[in-house]
Amino acid sequence: MELAREKGARAIFVVGTGKNVGKTTALLAMYESACRSGLRVGLASIGPKPLLRLHPNTVFITARPLLLPSPAVEILKISQLESSSGSLLYARTAHGGLYNLTGPSSASGLRAAVEEIAAHSDIVLIDGAIDRISTLASSDGAIVVSCGAAAAKTESEAICDVATLTARLRVPAFDPHAGVLELEGALTATMAADFIVAREERQIVVGDSTQIVMSGRSLAEALARLRIRCRRTFDVIATTVCAVAPERSFDPAAFLGAVADATKLPSFDVFAGKEVA
Amino acid sequence: MKALDLLDDASAQLLGFDWLVNAAAPVSPYGARLFSELVPFRPGSEAAAESRARRIAEIADGLHPDRIAAARSLLQQLPDIVGVVARASMGEMLDDPAFLELLQFCEMLERIDASLATSTLVQPAANDATHAVSEALAPGGNEAEGFYLADAFEAELAAVRAAYAQAQAELNAARGREHESVARELGRDEIAGNEFIVMRSELRGALPEGVRVVREAATYLFCALEYGESSRNALERRDAAFITVAALEERARLKLSSIVREHAAGLGAAAGALSELDVTIGAVRFSQGHRCTAPVVTEEPALNFERARFLPLEAELTVAGRRYVPIDLDLRSAAVLTGPNMGGKSLALQTCGLLALCTAFGLPLPAVRARVGLFDQIAWLGTGLEERSGGLLSSFARELLGLREILARAASRLLIFVDEFARTTTPHEGKALVVALTERLRQRNACALVATHLQGVAAAAGVPHFAVRGLKGIRTPPAARNLHEALEALAASMDYTIADVSDDDVPGADAIALAELLGLDSELVKAAYRALSQ
Repeated sequence: MELAREKGARAIFVVGTGKNVGKTTALLAMYESACRSGLRVGLASIGPKPLLRLHPNTVFITARPLLLPSPAVEILKISQLESSSGSLLYARTAHGGLYNLTGPSSASGLRAAVEEIAAHSDIVLIDGAIDRISTLASSDGAIVVSCGAAAAKTESEAICDVATLTARLRVPAFDPHAGVLELEGALTATMAADFIVAREERQIVVGDSTQIVMSGRSLAEALARLRIRCRRTFDVIATTVCAVAPERSFDPAAFLGAVADATKLPSFDVFAGKEVA
Repeated sequence: MKALDLLDDASAQLLGFDWLVNAAAPVSPYGARLFSELVPFRPGSEAAAESRARRIAEIADGLHPDRIAAARSLLQQLPDIVGVVARASMGEMLDDPAFLELLQFCEMLERIDASLATSTLVQPAANDATHAVSEALAPGGNEAEGFYLADAFEAELAAVRAAYAQAQAELNAARGREHESVARELGRDEIAGNEFIVMRSELRGALPEGVRVVREAATYLFCALEYGESSRNALERRDAAFITVAALEERARLKLSSIVREHAAGLGAAAGALSELDVTIGAVRFSQGHRCTAPVVTEEPALNFERARFLPLEAELTVAGRRYVPIDLDLRSAAVLTGPNMGGKSLALQTCGLLALCTAFGLPLPAVRARVGLFDQIAWLGTGLEERSGGLLSSFARELLGLREILARAASRLLIFVDEFARTTTPHEGKALVVALTERLRQRNACALVATHLQGVAAAAGVPHFAVRGLKGIRTPPAARNLHEALEALAASMDYTIADVSDDDVPGADAIALAELLGLDSELVKAAYRALSQ
């Protein structure tokens, strides 16, 4: 939370390298921290979340059928947006209690929801997904990337995944004074290979880094040999790790250190209470 | 608006029915429901059709467009309470979002009524029921237009909520102490959440009391912090307080739901009034936006108007920055319309059709003055329809089948627009068919406008003959072959006036003049003039 506030972020989007990598745990840790700081916190999600225990004065978005009758909340606005669970509404908790959180599945819907929640809160925390992240491009939002043992077969694979994802999300803005090759759509591995063969030296510019459709070695190669740039950039501020999963686990301390080293970002293990700046 | 059997889909499209529906559409779900059920006035309902159009025109004259826009904006935001009221009527307990919708509905109704209060022709939609429900829900309202099941709704609610908050605070404190104690014993600043990892290398001695190992690994323990006695007791007190809060909140909701049930009929009436209002406001906006006037709706099958406009084309020309020339016409039976290419014959037919449609739906129409009858069927035959049909038939065959259908229906009040019927067959046979058709329409007392380039049809069929006056001579022909300039020159030189001509001898060679204007090579044009003179 301190990193986000230093950057002046009014929204923090938590995305993961896969499922069950501790996104919600990271989100709740930030939520608790923000509440302790006296901030008015807003919460959003791209899909239904299990019941969350929220403090008074928290603004959140939920589906009308999922709104529990008690404790009563202040209904701020009934939205025109829809979710898979039904029509959405914005509410503010009056008392602590258990609440369902959900949100729109489309990027445009999520953008509208975040704007509405931001109007009632100091900071908005979003349990997001990488394919909806364009909501935040060039805004005053920050990104936290969660990774963990649940989403990779080996520790090295998990580290490679998070390093690749953060590298992609941190592609810098283009320089308008230097030569550019503007792409209307996505930059694929095949296109990147052609550019490398052609020794393309101009900046290859895409809308935002979600339009760089590459991963693993091909992405690393492309980033190293081409000047890939974005019109709209993201601000990735930290990673979180979850070394434990039902299927496998990694050594928590080693995993945390390796993720911090690979991403060059402050990294946190909420479960172990450790951080590597 | 439903055209029903007044006109078929293809004719509806040519006459701008869909355009008219969009232009006069309401904005609220209430208005939309009523609007979708509107049907045309039929012959015999002339007084009702005229009365509706007159009322709309009078409201349009009396209310400033800004007030109409303000009312439309409010109508657009209105929540649909029909389902909520139905649920309450059946004895269902309503939820808080439903109370918010009801509160917004009642409050917006007042604002809509206030915005239209200067017109004596608009009846207020709010009533005693909406006032009562608004008053009952008012404690839940706030400045930001939200709703909260406030303490004021139930006598003991404030006290039990305070007890619940206190119990939650005690639980948080007890749990917090347990977290702090374990964190201290493990040498950490804090423990976030109830599950955490303890590295074996950092563990000095046994795990603190209350920590249960969920999973063990070589280097770490995955643990859970159990509830101690103090926090278990606090948890029980919190849960008991919550049950009391939930019971009282339910009681408050039941009370409010019964008030809604009590006033369900009045709320339904308000919703009904709102439907009417929204549909009326939609028509008023249409009337104001297009400078419409109320027609005199006659019992005769006739169309008589001054300076009428076909609005879809006028809108298109306005966007293009071009001038639209309104037309006058007095059509009392079957008649023939002739004139040059691009002289506006088809447009005259469409204008008549749009005016007849407006009248059929009780709308003011885009003319300075109009006397229009009601019809059982409005049909289009000829040019314009062929693009809408496919199949193996020739355009002429499709025209014939269309005509067969129209004649077979035998509507007692037929308004038909015939645009260059039989133009694709041999001229002499085509003319014979047009004459025969025109005669038949005259005999059936149909109101018909038969546009054709064929000469002598009106005289042969014994019907009036109207003609577009046509080109007055191109004053300044465009120097280059520029289509835009050519069209500008044509529009400047064309007299679109429709005149009742005494004979069929319509002079002029506007088709060849048009060919010249549109850049056909001069030798070919000269040859055409020579051929014409022979």
